[in-house]
Amino acid sequence: MAEILKVEGLNKTFGSGHLAVEALKGIDLTVNAGDLVALLGPSGSGKTTLLLSVSLILDPTGGKIWLDGETIYDHGWKEVDIRQLRLTKVGFIFQSRNLIPFLTALENVLLPLDLLGFERDEALRRAMELLKYMEIDERAHYLPALMSGGEQQRVAIARALASAPKLVLADEPTGALDSVRGMKVMEMLKKIARENRTAVICVTHDERMIEGFDYIYRLKDGQISLSDNHG
Amino acid sequence: MDLAIRDIKQHLGRFLATVVGIGLLFAIVLSMNGIYRGFVFEGLSLINITNPDLWVVERYRGGPINEQSILPEFFHYSVAAIPGVEKASPFIIYPVERHIAGESKRFTIIGYDVFTGLGGPKNFTAGRPITQAHYEAVAHQKLGLRLGQNFRLGLHTYTVVGLTKEGTSPDGEALLYLSLPDAQEVIWLPDNEEVRNQRLRVYQSLVRPGFFSPQEAEKYLSRYGIDTHRINAVLVRLAPGAQAKEVVRQIKDYLYLSVFTTPEQIEIMFKGRLDRPQRQLLLFRTLLLIVSVVIIAMVIFTLTMEKIRSIAVMKLIGAPNRVIIRLIMEQSILLTACSFFIGWIIIHNAYHLWPRLVLLTPGDDLTTLGLALTGGIIASLLGIWKALKTPPALALGEQ
Repeated sequence: MAEILKVEGLNKTFGSGHLAVEALKGIDLTVNAGDLVALLGPSGSGKTTLLLSVSLILDPTGGKIWLDGETIYDHGWKEVDIRQLRLTKVGFIFQSRNLIPFLTALENVLLPLDLLGFERDEALRRAMELLKYMEIDERAHYLPALMSGGEQQRVAIARALASAPKLVLADEPTGALDSVRGMKVMEMLKKIARENRTAVICVTHDERMIEGFDYIYRLKDGQISLSDNHG
Repeated sequence: MDLAIRDIKQHLGRFLATVVGIGLLFAIVLSMNGIYRGFVFEGLSLINITNPDLWVVERYRGGPINEQSILPEFFHYSVAAIPGVEKASPFIIYPVERHIAGESKRFTIIGYDVFTGLGGPKNFTAGRPITQAHYEAVAHQKLGLRLGQNFRLGLHTYTVVGLTKEGTSPDGEALLYLSLPDAQEVIWLPDNEEVRNQRLRVYQSLVRPGFFSPQEAEKYLSRYGIDTHRINAVLVRLAPGAQAKEVVRQIKDYLYLSVFTTPEQIEIMFKGRLDRPQRQLLLFRTLLLIVSVVIIAMVIFTLTMEKIRSIAVMKLIGAPNRVIIRLIMEQSILLTACSFFIGWIIIHNAYHLWPRLVLLTPGDDLTTLGLALTGGIIASLLGIWKALKTPPALALGEQ
């Protein structure tokens, strides 16, 4: 099975001296193509710090990260174009205000394709396909402000998939939604993992939302453990 | 995808309101350019229109336009006698405020030798030059007189025989051309009451013990008269081949007068009368331009701050810096260009409402546009700096 993300001995310490806070303590994690991975844990347990570290936003303090077979961090960032890696290999979905408010749903999905240099017609075709795949194509020309939270999240998933990434990182994607809309969004995440073989890491604190996930990891005080009742 | 245009489209009302506001500022900047040009144009127009080879004025005076100069009228004969002088004409320029055609008006009287002299009007919008020694006038259109209109000035009634729109006084006031004797009378002939008062003062100074008896004083008083035979300058046209330097030297050495060429008159105006006002106007329009750029910078910074989370989202999904820089800079340039265009339209449709000449030139407009766009680009730097500093983690709610 293709290994998409591998994290080994990842540490992250905020501050120094007696004020130092160890947010991540030797995290080991492997995610394969098509894996649905949930990260659970109370507030301050290090979930988002882990997500930010593997998404090349936050500098870890130590450890190693491989993304799609390439070493991107080995006690320091390797010489890689971080933005290009994010653009081509990682898709992001987060809790709310995911979308750029002055762009329509279609334009939000077009943006990464535009950045990747797709031809206009090809980009349009692909963006519309993704919106249809997320069952939100009838809202293609709506601005985010005119869509519900659930609809916005589905557009965000479509945008995250635009560049056909190997890994989708979702930070509390249902946090601002009611349970019905939340379930719909989670169904969509499962759909992309199953059908596209995209690895999905989803940070959440709502255990109702992760039914059917392949792996459930729990984070506590910066340490990770695989949950017994899943995987 | 043009992100700047899409952002503007979403806040179109606010963008247009900002454009109109800054456009009004640019209209003022452009009007200051026009006022400056108009100020210089009017300041020099009489010199340029009159344009003799030499201006002969009272010794040590910078006259007749930059400073008052008074000469006896007959001096022009002496100047005419200098070798190299083809023509020497008496010339009067005198600003007045008089009742004319029923209302008090400020204007400048130009008196000249209407038959063969220099210094008269050259281009007419209606009518003809003055052809009689008395009681005819050529008026600038700004004075509001009609062709053929009779008007009272001083002791006499004059008829408007010609209208012109070329030239004004250095203060932008209308010109009224009269024959030399008419101008001298209007300007220097006091009214009867003043004549009686002057005669009484002279009489009292003569009739004193051991000086003159009343009879003798009356006899001398009859010789006392009001002298109106004064002029402000003599305008000189040089004979073909004459050396201006030599003619100037002779007039200075033998007639004890001051002489200036037309370029020297212009220089005197620039260094004297026009100097401080034009520097003040330059300072004022520079300040206005800076204020405009600062306002644009603040508007762009505010617009950037409003979409700082969107910028973080763009960074998060991998947008390179050039996309973000382009978004902000393009908005700044659009804001500047649209504002300038609004200002340009306003001032080009309203410049005639200004009480003094507003002379708009394409060169000034283009220079201001160039400076404004440069300012707009500089103004966007603050927003760009803030945007580039924004961490992508902000999109996730992290700072």
